[in-house]
Amino acid sequence: MGELNKKSAKILVFSTEKISDPAIDMAGLLKLHYPPTVYTISIPCSSGIKPSWILYAYEKGFDGVFIAADGSDCIYGESCTEKTGNLVSKTHNLMKEKNIDPARLRMAAICSVCSESFVKQVRGFNEYLLKTLHA
Amino acid sequence: MEKKPKRIGVYVCHCGGNISDYVDVEKVRRSVEGEDAEIVVLAKTTMFACSDANQREMVEDIKANNLDSVIVSSCSPKLHMLTFRNVSVRADLNKFTYVHANIREQASWAHSDDKNGATEKAIHLVKAAIAKARYAEPLETNKIRAVKTVAVIGAGVAGMKAAISLAQKNTDVILIEKEPFVGGRVAQWDSLSTTTETGKEMVKRLYNELLKYDNITIMTNSEVIENKGSVGNISLKIKKTPRFINATACHPDDLKRAIEVCPVEVPDDFNFRLNSRKAIYKNYPSEYPQIPVIDVKNCTRCGECEKVCKAIDFNEKEEIFEIVAGSVLMATGFDSYTPAYGEFGYATSENVITLPQFKRLIDTQFDKLIYKGKEIKTIAYIYCVGSRQTDGENTYCSRNCCTSTIHAALTAKNKFKNITNYHFNRGLRTYGKQEILYADSLRSGDIYFQSYEDGLPKVSVEGAKTIVKVNDVLTNNREIEVEADLVVLVTGMVPRSDNSIGTLFKLPKGRDKFYNEVHMKLRPVETVIDGITIAGACQGPKNITESVNSALSAATKSYTILSRGELETDPLVATIDPEKCSWCGACEEACPFDAILKVENGKKVIAEINNTVCKGCGMCAPVCDPDAVNLIACSSREIMSMIDALV
Amino acid sequence: MENPIRNIAYDALVIGAGIAGGETALNLANTGYKVLLVDRELSVGGKMIMLSKVFPTLDCAACITTPKVSEISRHPNITIFTGSEVSKIRKVSDNEFVALVTKQPRYVHIEDCTACQLCEKACPVNVRDQYQFGLIGRKAAFIPFSICSPKAAAIDIDNCTLCGACEKVCPTNCIDFTMEVETMELHVKTIVVATGFNLFNAEKMPRYGFGKYKNVITAQQMERELAPTRPFNTILRPGDGKVPDKIAYVLCVGSRDASIGNPVCSQICCMYSIKQAQLLMGSLPMADVTIYYINIRSFGKGFEEFYQQAKGMGVNFVKGKIGRISEKENGNLILRYEDINEGKLQEAEHDMVILSTGVLPNTGIDKLFENQKLQLDQFSFIGQSDMLASPAKTSIEGVFVAGTATGPMDIPDSILSAGSASSEAISYLIQHP
Repeated sequence: MGELNKKSAKILVFSTEKISDPAIDMAGLLKLHYPPTVYTISIPCSSGIKPSWILYAYEKGFDGVFIAADGSDCIYGESCTEKTGNLVSKTHNLMKEKNIDPARLRMAAICSVCSESFVKQVRGFNEYLLKTLHA
Repeated sequence: MEKKPKRIGVYVCHCGGNISDYVDVEKVRRSVEGEDAEIVVLAKTTMFACSDANQREMVEDIKANNLDSVIVSSCSPKLHMLTFRNVSVRADLNKFTYVHANIREQASWAHSDDKNGATEKAIHLVKAAIAKARYAEPLETNKIRAVKTVAVIGAGVAGMKAAISLAQKNTDVILIEKEPFVGGRVAQWDSLSTTTETGKEMVKRLYNELLKYDNITIMTNSEVIENKGSVGNISLKIKKTPRFINATACHPDDLKRAIEVCPVEVPDDFNFRLNSRKAIYKNYPSEYPQIPVIDVKNCTRCGECEKVCKAIDFNEKEEIFEIVAGSVLMATGFDSYTPAYGEFGYATSENVITLPQFKRLIDTQFDKLIYKGKEIKTIAYIYCVGSRQTDGENTYCSRNCCTSTIHAALTAKNKFKNITNYHFNRGLRTYGKQEILYADSLRSGDIYFQSYEDGLPKVSVEGAKTIVKVNDVLTNNREIEVEADLVVLVTGMVPRSDNSIGTLFKLPKGRDKFYNEVHMKLRPVETVIDGITIAGACQGPKNITESVNSALSAATKSYTILSRGELETDPLVATIDPEKCSWCGACEEACPFDAILKVENGKKVIAEINNTVCKGCGMCAPVCDPDAVNLIACSSREIMSMIDALV
Repeated sequence: MENPIRNIAYDALVIGAGIAGGETALNLANTGYKVLLVDRELSVGGKMIMLSKVFPTLDCAACITTPKVSEISRHPNITIFTGSEVSKIRKVSDNEFVALVTKQPRYVHIEDCTACQLCEKACPVNVRDQYQFGLIGRKAAFIPFSICSPKAAAIDIDNCTLCGACEKVCPTNCIDFTMEVETMELHVKTIVVATGFNLFNAEKMPRYGFGKYKNVITAQQMERELAPTRPFNTILRPGDGKVPDKIAYVLCVGSRDASIGNPVCSQICCMYSIKQAQLLMGSLPMADVTIYYINIRSFGKGFEEFYQQAKGMGVNFVKGKIGRISEKENGNLILRYEDINEGKLQEAEHDMVILSTGVLPNTGIDKLFENQKLQLDQFSFIGQSDMLASPAKTSIEGVFVAGTATGPMDIPDSILSAGSASSEAISYLIQHP
């Protein structure tokens, strides 16, 4: 991405096909705006995200990565919350090793109707990233 | 051998303006046309990608251009992913070669305030889809035998009707009811609107019909406690609580005595706690099944009932059943809103009751309407209690309460002498033919006041008097004051407070906290969990006719899923790279479905995926240190190439 | 009419190919039954396919109907007859009905037509376009509308001058003036009636001036102005083509009104008017939109929230019944109404008025049945013999009803009602092999 437009940060969102992606869709339906440099990759379950993907995103130029986690609504079982938490802390450690600010990875449980919460989260994250990375 | 480059076709949909009003679709098309030269061999815009004409054109394009894969950039994949997969299949492509890009919900609509931003985002999203399509390989679907049994959960009117209609379609049904009796909410009502049949009679009629079918198993006092497997083959564990009454030794007179001698008194939920019942009880004479039950939570085991009735058997044990169903139909109903302490005088004034309580009250009284020893003549109804809240959680309209209240008020007026009804409403919603009932009510002399949105009625207690005050819209803001013998709070439908079944099945809820359908118009009775359908008021407020329509729709859907006997499931499972794996067991530990097998592979032991059990969640992938695990269609190379395209 | 083609057999006959009939046909076909779907219009899709967007999700109507229509038209178990009417039905036994179907000639061979529109260009005849509700004209050789199915031309023989211009330009020679009326005798085991509804004719309320004042239109016409496949590229008032900036909606036109013979609430007008108001606010951000109502009935899932959203966007809601509308010289309209909040008679000037007309029964269906009586309800909708427990059952065993043929209903309810009728019909087919 060019340096021209830094009014919004590049954020990669990992959403889940059945839980958080519907919420992000509904944010669009309700025209709840958020920065257009927020991109979503949808996967079955947030506990299946590999830390290597997240690190790759930073390497390629994403400012932040946001995991729109299934939380307790996960259709694959309760262990999702704990496993997603584990992979996030594993990634945080790897980020520290590489001198990447761990706060550039955020996670929040986004239920299938949590559109407002999603928008609030990514807006807040965008502000943080702009302040710390592009000030 | 070097693989031949893929030939990909891209369609960018206007969605009749929904997309093209904010996203420059032509720019999107141009920016991907000829992407990697030999890869994107065709890029088109279309007014409606999903229209029949465009679908036909796609089939022709695929054939004429020898495409290996197509991408449609349009609305959310929840709407039309299947539509376009089927188009691919009609053009002799494997359906898994199809890739979807969502540039409506996640670009044009989400960024309708920023056309350039939306267009840029759409371009990136389409490029990411192209990156994914590069690796999209033809896959064989898994075929599984579907068990031709439907588990219907909840034996209210919706559940009973669904069960009957499935049984008529030669499908086995297991009807599971948590309560000791069937009939749900309708069994609690006597007089119903639009018919002379009472709720109890209707329940009796349906129950008698249920009994006609050998292929229906009714389980009362039973709860699902475990859920395993997936569509076509769902294993359920059911806990049946004993009634502690031996049906074969049952003599009605003895049982009657047993109820009389029981010393325990608990609030009677069937009558919405207007009165109390015993720990051994039945709710009404024609109730089904025709065997009373001992409420084990409240029974003190004093033994009084045993002394007078030999059918009582405290040795009955809780039973656990395991069943297998192909599909589960949820018909778990609703709760009635319970007002907060002091809300319109609830619990603070003894003259304030809820609509369901009022309905039970008029059904159980004769000649005179007596409440708490006092004859009731003037009744004030306060509408929308717990619905259309401006400062509470329940913003939705509960749909059925206006009609239900007017019907109850008219019933009271016809049954008892000298009743005056005052309706404090927020704009009557007697939609459709129910309007006639409202006209009848006006003709009978019922009085209607409409409150302002910011001026809800106030209930005050002055000694024994209960006074309702409101500023009335209909008489130009005049302050109205009514002294009422009884204030009826028109409480709406709310989701069941006990959501254990929803949690067990992982059913997503909508904004109103009722269970959510996939799409209100395209897939109104299906949930995101394959094979689980929803019926009746657990999906949202409904009257009886509407509940039955939704129940029969859900039955049609569950039946359609199972009727062919064989189901295709997506083969999007995990894969193990045998080169990298050297069995550490981490994946086995992470898998919630026991889908990882430990196998010998030449000289070493490695993990292997049991494809029929794997659900493709991917929990095993991040825990693998040698990075030997990948999900089909969500592998590292796909995700990373998408990241490349999005940056 | 003399020699009907005989011995055509299907499991089910579905009368009406709107959203309810289409859904029913799909449900039956997906469970393996052979279905004949008959519609008197030139396209399937009913009223819904002509809509702009649908409440409360604001999905475009085409995005919901066209894929369904496409699935219906492709399904190996479904045969579609458009431009066709059922003229007689006789019940022969528990599992056999004999139905006569009359297929009007389209004068175009559908399978050869490529919808190239050359015939449209060549045709010299201009008439009112019924598929755009008279907002614009069309030719006598025409494609009904852009997303119609089958997507093929038709000749409007009543207006055609038989000049032959279309035949000359047709590249596939699919125009054929020798086509004749076909009559078919069908044998079916069950019937689903999904004949929908009629909209109230606003000309029957002269005090609102529809048909006299050009800038008074119906909501159905406004649907077309708002639709993606709309006739003009913007919203304009028909009188002078001006873009309106003070728009009024009049609710309950032909509903909840015993004086015109329809005391029933139409159930959909509040919501479709609110939806149109939201869409107007989107396309004409500077315009004022006022909705004159008696009660707002936003009762369905997500409806109340949708109503509140419209208020939030700035749509004015005025509780008041419109007495009379009169026209000014500049084409603007004066609405006289009783403002219930203010408690007095008021006047307001608007430059365009939209009448939200109500739902009336599609009559005459009962006359088709020769030896059985199809009961109607007191409003002439099709009667439900067991409304609470089996809403799709009619007075004739084996004949079921889906959608608005039983009374006003929105789209989600119509689809559920179609699911219900499908269930009954499948059970009937299994129980009466």
